[in-house]
Amino acid sequence: MDRMTAFYLVLGAVFGFVLSRSGAADYDFIQGMFLFEEFQLYGIIGTAVVVTAPGLWLLKRYGRTASGRPLKIELKPGHRGNIYGGVLFGVGWSITGMCPGPVLVNVGEGKLYALAALAGVLVGAGAFGTLYPRLIRPFGLPRLEVGTGEG
Amino acid sequence: MRLILSGEEPLHWAIAGAAIGAITLILLLVANRRLGVSTGFENICSLVVNAPYFRRESILGSTSWRLPLLLGLVIGGFVSAAFSPGGWETTWDLGVFDADVGWGAGGKVVWMFAGGLLIGFGTRLAGGCTSGHGIFGVSNFEVPSIVSTVSFMAGGIVTTNLIYRVIV
Repeated sequence: MDRMTAFYLVLGAVFGFVLSRSGAADYDFIQGMFLFEEFQLYGIIGTAVVVTAPGLWLLKRYGRTASGRPLKIELKPGHRGNIYGGVLFGVGWSITGMCPGPVLVNVGEGKLYALAALAGVLVGAGAFGTLYPRLIRPFGLPRLEVGTGEG
Repeated sequence: MRLILSGEEPLHWAIAGAAIGAITLILLLVANRRLGVSTGFENICSLVVNAPYFRRESILGSTSWRLPLLLGLVIGGFVSAAFSPGGWETTWDLGVFDADVGWGAGGKVVWMFAGGLLIGFGTRLAGGCTSGHGIFGVSNFEVPSIVSTVSFMAGGIVTTNLIYRVIV
């Protein structure tokens, strides 16, 4: 395994551990967030943004990666899919209590129902990609080569 | 509130949030990548689905980093469970869903698969999820990310309130 593959694996594992232990991958904490009964997830996401925003600003000013290459941040395109896709995802997040990272975290934790959620996610993403040419016009999406945005 | 996984209290939100922010910045500083999980599902699809959408350079060219990141998330969940009281074990526990809705394993499988479909289709239609839009995009003050984040929070708030304050 090369060094960068190990880096992504370890970074993903640390990310997954934090999601698991913080409540971000917990059905009850997600419902508590959407019911405005639990501050935990608002605190997590808010703190992450408060840390990331000035960090991004500094990194962009510095303009280089750790290895000295020019920093490159590809911006996501704007389109109506941001709204329609966002709402659909929000419904799915509520139903499962998981967003994409936590789907994988819950699988790792041994929660068996998360395997069904993961199967649904993959079928949903596969259907989206397969149908993309037919979704461009109704949702005002960018052409296929561009896509909706990576992330 | 305690975690379904272990019955323990969660990490403090400030610690968890700061850690996620640090992970986002390290990924950019070291690897020149913007954090995002949902595109990784397309990378998995690209292994088996041949549609032109999955043959794009932005997918084929990112598989070598997105798949290890996704696998890392699974490993992180496993390690968390293994080092929790009680250790790693398979479970169907679903907290308040068990208490208020009360469906068995079969019902949960259908429920989770349906929700998963919406997550997979919705995040890709929106061009990102909680990480790519909600954390990276919002932190970078990108309008499409702010619009997406408001949309998925609205979708979740309405759905959970319908389920737990109206239906059950």
